[in-house]
Parts: sequence; C-alpha cells; structure tokens
Amino acid sequence: MRVTIISIPVRDQEKALKFYTEKLGFIKKLDMPLEGGNRWLTLVSKEAQEGPEILLEPAPNHFEPCKVFQDALMEAGIPWTGFDVDNVNAEYERLTKLGVEFSVKPTKMGTVEFAVFNDTCGNNIQIVEML
Amino acid sequence: MTFYEKEINRIRSIVYSNEGQVNTVIGIRNYIENNYESDLNLEALSHIRLISKYHLLRLFKKYYGLTPRQYLRDIRIEKSKEHLLHGMSVTETCFAVGFESLGSFSTLFKSKTGKSPTQFQKEQLSRSN
Repeated sequence: MRVTIISIPVRDQEKALKFYTEKLGFIKKLDMPLEGGNRWLTLVSKEAQEGPEILLEPAPNHFEPCKVFQDALMEAGIPWTGFDVDNVNAEYERLTKLGVEFSVKPTKMGTVEFAVFNDTCGNNIQIVEML
Repeated sequence: MTFYEKEINRIRSIVYSNEGQVNTVIGIRNYIENNYESDLNLEALSHIRLISKYHLLRLFKKYYGLTPRQYLRDIRIEKSKEHLLHGMSVTETCFAVGFESLGSFSTLFKSKTGKSPTQFQKEQLSRSN
C-alpha cells in the first residue's frame, strides 16, 4: 500500500483549483469529469510532482455531516491539514501580498514555526517550518 | 482567540517550556543539516553543545521524534536523490553525502525509497526526457 491522496473538502472545486494553483503554487495533475458537474481533481507540489496528490473533494456539498465537521473546524480555527515550507515568514509575506488571510501569523512552537491561513473554500490550512 | 490558538498556547507551555533544551536541539539539527556530508556521530555532536551524548540522544528524540543518526540518514538519502537527479554517478553520490561504503548506501537507499540508486536514477531521468 502507498500513500497517494490527501483529501481536502471544498465548497467550489473551480475556485479551489484557482486558489491552490495560482496562490499556493500547486500544479494540476488529474482533472476527470464525474457526474453532476463534479470532478476528480488532484494537485501536486511543484517540488515533488511524483509525490502525494491533494484531492479537492466537493464532499461538503453532497454529505451534510462533512459540511458540519468542516464548519466546526473553521469556527475553532483548527487546520484541516498542513504543508511543509522552507521558510514560514517568507511564505507569510508572499501570500499576504496575494491577499491570503491569516488567522495565525508566524508563531514559534518549540522546534517548529507555523502559520494558519484561510483557503477561501471552507478550510484553515497550516504551513510549517521545522527549526 | 480561537480554540486552536488556546490549545497551542496550552500545549506549548507544557511541552516546550524548557527554552534551553529547545535551543540546544535546534542548534544540533542545524549543525547536522549543514554538515551532513562529514563524519558525524553522537560524540562529535555532543561536543558542539557541550552536553553528554546520552542526554543529547534523549533530547533530540524527544523534540524531533527521531534519533540524530536516523535524522542524518534521512537527510543523506534526500540529498542523494538530488545528486542522482542531477546526473551524478551512484558512487560519487554515495561519498558526496557522507556514506563510507557503496553497499551500505545502496541498501539504505533501497529500504527508504523501494528502489536501488541506479533504478531510481534511470526512472527519474527517463521521466524528465
């Protein structure tokens, strides 16, 4: 078995595709039409294009408990998932200039520094730098 | 302040209250990161921060979840992938990242990536062509 998919629930797949590629810098890998306008839409990191794929999944639109859970995490400020970065402060500056909103500015916690931003699709996302 | 921030603050005050220990392990990790190709061992690392090697081992594992040796091995394997992708030979790569024997490098590389260094290089280079 291999780890290949990290699922992120999104309310609008097209909007999420734009945010994750144009702002965060991921690259589209798979884009297959499914029923009802839904897509199997995956992205990879520029630096690890053979690595795990992010699946932008429209689950909250079709399964109410997923929406409830996603909303509860957003309300509590809890990240749905996180990504490693080389420099949290540099990413914070870069993304802020692109209009991305942070709920937690770069913050040191022991051997890591992290920040949390809103992906505009229903999730808090954390970026982490190992110190 | 959100629930998440409150929890972060609570956990930080419990887990990371000893700033001296945190700074020590961060210093050791940075040293490994910048000197991975040299002959590093616990003895040498403990001299850098003037602490006993057993204390260093315990602290590093506590704060990073890995022993310094495991961490060094992981860095060397990651760096070796970069060298192989840039077309460096397997033998050159092995010594460039600090391994002393081709056999131990190849065995470790295969156990970490599922492929021998030669297989990995062939596959990656054929993908990029």
